[in-house]
Amino acid sequence: MLRNIPIRRKVMLMMMSVSGTVLLLTCLAFIAYEYHEFRSHSVRNISTLGKLIANNSTAALAFDNADDAREVLAALKAEPNITHAALYGVDGKLFARYPEAAGLQGYPANIAEDGYQFADGALTQWLTVMQDNNHRLGKLYLRADQRGLYTELRNYSLIAIMMTGVALVIAYFLARFLQSQISRPLTALLNTTTAVGQHHDYSLRAEKIGNDEFGQLTEGLNSMLMRIQHQAREVTESNEVVRAIIETASEGIITIDEHGLVEAFNATASRIFGYTLEEVRGKNVKLLMPPQYATNHDEYISSYLRTGEKKVIGIGREVTGKRKDGSTFPMDLAIVEVQLHGRRKFSGFVRDVTQRKEWEAGLQAQMNRLALLNRITRATAERQDLQSIFQVVVRSLEQDLPLDFACICLYDSIAQELTVTSVGVNSGSLAMELAMTEQAHIAIDKNGLSRCVLGYLVYEQDVSLISFPFPQRLAAGGLRSLVAAPLLAESKVFGVLIAARRAVNGFTAGESEFLRQLSEHVALAAHNAQIYRALQQAYEDLRQSQQTILQQERLSALGQIASGVAHDINNAISPVALYTESLLQYEPNLSDRARKYLETIQRAIEDVAQTVTRMREFYRTREPRLDLVQIDLNVIAQQVIDLTRVRWRDVPQESGVVIELQTSFEASLPKVMGAEHEIRDALTNLIFNAVDAMPKGGTLSVTTRVINRQEQNVQDAFVLLEVSDTGVGMDEKTRKRCLEPFFTTKGERGTGLGLAMVYGMVKRHSAELHIESSPGRGTLFRLSFPTAVLSIQDGVRHVQAARPARPLSLLVIDDDPIIIESLTEVLRRDGHQVIAANGGAAGIEMFNNAQRDGGHFDVVITDLGMPYVDGRAVAAAIKGVAPATPVLLLTGWGQRLLAENDIPPHVDRVLNKPPKLEELRRVLAALANSVSTPASHD
Amino acid sequence: MKRIVRDLILLMIFACPASRAATSEYQLEAVFLFNFTQFVEWPATVFERPDSPLAICVLGEDPFGDMLDNIVRDESVSGHPIIINRYRNASMVNHCHILFFSRSEMQSFKPVLQSLKNSSVLTVAGFEGFALSGGIIRFLVVENKLRLRINMIAMHDAKLEISSKLLRQAELIGHGED
Repeated sequence: MLRNIPIRRKVMLMMMSVSGTVLLLTCLAFIAYEYHEFRSHSVRNISTLGKLIANNSTAALAFDNADDAREVLAALKAEPNITHAALYGVDGKLFARYPEAAGLQGYPANIAEDGYQFADGALTQWLTVMQDNNHRLGKLYLRADQRGLYTELRNYSLIAIMMTGVALVIAYFLARFLQSQISRPLTALLNTTTAVGQHHDYSLRAEKIGNDEFGQLTEGLNSMLMRIQHQAREVTESNEVVRAIIETASEGIITIDEHGLVEAFNATASRIFGYTLEEVRGKNVKLLMPPQYATNHDEYISSYLRTGEKKVIGIGREVTGKRKDGSTFPMDLAIVEVQLHGRRKFSGFVRDVTQRKEWEAGLQAQMNRLALLNRITRATAERQDLQSIFQVVVRSLEQDLPLDFACICLYDSIAQELTVTSVGVNSGSLAMELAMTEQAHIAIDKNGLSRCVLGYLVYEQDVSLISFPFPQRLAAGGLRSLVAAPLLAESKVFGVLIAARRAVNGFTAGESEFLRQLSEHVALAAHNAQIYRALQQAYEDLRQSQQTILQQERLSALGQIASGVAHDINNAISPVALYTESLLQYEPNLSDRARKYLETIQRAIEDVAQTVTRMREFYRTREPRLDLVQIDLNVIAQQVIDLTRVRWRDVPQESGVVIELQTSFEASLPKVMGAEHEIRDALTNLIFNAVDAMPKGGTLSVTTRVINRQEQNVQDAFVLLEVSDTGVGMDEKTRKRCLEPFFTTKGERGTGLGLAMVYGMVKRHSAELHIESSPGRGTLFRLSFPTAVLSIQDGVRHVQAARPARPLSLLVIDDDPIIIESLTEVLRRDGHQVIAANGGAAGIEMFNNAQRDGGHFDVVITDLGMPYVDGRAVAAAIKGVAPATPVLLLTGWGQRLLAENDIPPHVDRVLNKPPKLEELRRVLAALANSVSTPASHD
Repeated sequence: MKRIVRDLILLMIFACPASRAATSEYQLEAVFLFNFTQFVEWPATVFERPDSPLAICVLGEDPFGDMLDNIVRDESVSGHPIIINRYRNASMVNHCHILFFSRSEMQSFKPVLQSLKNSSVLTVAGFEGFALSGGIIRFLVVENKLRLRINMIAMHDAKLEISSKLLRQAELIGHGED
């Protein structure tokens, strides 16, 4: 009942009832207290009065003095409420009474026990009058009127009630004022909560009034509202976010209930399946599945709900979805289960993986092609020749890509045609049909190949639609799609890879790209193979030239030594040569024998000089300028056989070894162009080698013959010079190396230079060297010399013996006394005036002296290498004094100087040692003539 | 118990109208004698010990019979038990606190009074001239009521203190007024 009244009134009621009750109880307590107090006061009063009267009346009673007793009682006049008083004797008889005027009826006839009694609006008291506390003297009776008391009590009560009423009125107004302290904040709170509850507006705040519990409650409510507001905002935001995420998710999200009915279907799902949310909401999700899945789906759900066994939930699986248009597609499905208020829902996350599948397939194909590319690349890397590379490429493509037809053609840019180089094994029969077998030529017209040979990949989806001959040729063989990939090396097309299939548009972009890349690899491999070959060649050349350089280096070092040796030998044989020639010329009385000996000596000297010259050639860096003359090889061969007779016959015979010589010289052998001494030396070397190869004897054969060889439509005749033995022979390795300088099988005995010199001679004569040998069977050296086509000169020089027209005045300077002596003597014999000077310094001094004295030298002959002042200095000094005087340098280094064009300044001519008398005469004559003209002016 | 019995006896005495005429005066006098013990204070020196008996002596012919004995039986005053001593001869009087002179002593009481002067004995008698002659309390009958006359000088001489209540009941005189 109280519950439903407003709290304002409730509070007031409470306050009023409390204060009213309190006041009432207080009043009652007060009145009761007053009543009680009044009565006890009356009792006390009457008791005191009684005791006083009793005490005062003891003597009166004791001594039976009623007058005195009355007197005592009369004192009660002062107490108006005492209406009756009486003393009774110990015998119970009324002894005295007050007031006297009243009748006896107001007094009890009999005495009673001591005590008080309220009765009839009066208080009565009985009291025993005692003397000395133990001696009873009589009884006192007092009666006090109590009506005054009750009147007073009534008055009190009236006052209390009035006060209560006033207090209640005040309390009412106070309560009205005070209740607002409670009800106002409460109402404010209530209003706030009501407003919040009605509008769900959590931004509202209750007004805070004071800091009491209501204030705290308000604060609590406000903070709660704030929290709720925040939470509500967060919830709203997160809901928004979730909704946005769901709607924009890249996956389709479908939510179904326990019966498989669709509840939610996001935009992506709509896009994937083609249904709108409205079309599928409330329908069974089976709608989105192809029949084979749809039939079992309800069973799946109920089975899961029954057993809890998860097959897709939380696991994910690739399944097939069905679009609105009935088409199916692969999709990834992930299902999560949500329990909400005891209801289970399932959310499926769907991703259309068609594209991914295609990518995967494409990727797989790409991987396969990559593997194929790898295989092919590896295979080609192992091969070095083009044919093999092309073959492996074509076969791999045919087999693994696969292709119906594959071939590689080489491109001839000049002839503008392709040559089929490699055709796949399986394509062979088709190639026959297409007339595209290996080595077949395909003309390049505007058939697509023209673009290909410009470096572009050509892809024809259907060749049957192209009316040019080549495509039509392929189409006739049943082929439809074609890829022609250029093979490029250094930006130039050198070939075309042709791949074809019977299907129209049979190549994917990936395959075309693959073929393009493959063609690059193939081109690269082919190019590499070519480069490799070139590299091999270059390496071989390099090795050769390296060998040559090495050889030259070695020979150069040897030549340095040989040069010094040659110089000394030249100097040493100079007198021999001079004297021999002089003897033969000026001694007509010589016996035939002496003359023959001298001629042999002369020839030997000449050979020595030539040998020395050749020694110096070891270190030449360029081809020596041979003075080629026409030579009869038969003569040379016989000469050498004679010269080496000691070696091939005499020396072996000493140790019981017999070497048989077989010679076969072709008669009327054509002359060859050559240097006699070189050929002689080479032949000597060959014979020596043959002898060395036959330590146990055998047959040495020397053969000359002529052959005619047809080469490049030109008929050439060659003269062959063969030296063969029946000795130990050479194995293949030795045969290959035997021409290398310093390669020897003779150990310490051999220099390793013999065959190298032979080879050098052969090269210098544009001849060819052929070696046949096998171990134990002997060796054959065959030298093929081209025949001398044009006969320029006679083999024999018919030089008119030139000599100076007049005797000359000559100054001969040398540091070798023997040369000075021999030269002086020879020249004097020719009739010249010769002055000799020993050494450069002496020569210059003599010349100067002669000049000073008016003397004159027609020619100065000086040695080059002399101590302190050499030939160069002498020449310079002489030219400094007399520039017109010719200087003839006579040197053991002469050949070298000539060869190197190193004719020192101030030197007019250079002659080698040993000087030939004829040559000397000729030079002197020439010099004298050149000088004679200016001299005549003198 | 004793008190109840005694009260009953007293009640019987006062309630007996037949004997009243003859005995009422003595009876009353006996009661008065006992009542004097209640309203008079003796100097402490008159008691040898706190429980020394207070003696009411009757000199001469005893008019009370056993009334007095009955009245004082088992009574005590401030710890002093009350005893009754009867003397025939004045010379035998010894050790009294209240001395009642019987009418028989009307002629010879004066020397006794003289001898008891300053001896703190409350002297009581019912015959004429007693108070005037130096006796302390005299019973007299006025308008048929027994009344008292007290000689204040004698009282002072006897060094007794008589309660004002008692004094208020009595006629107070000095010497020679009787």
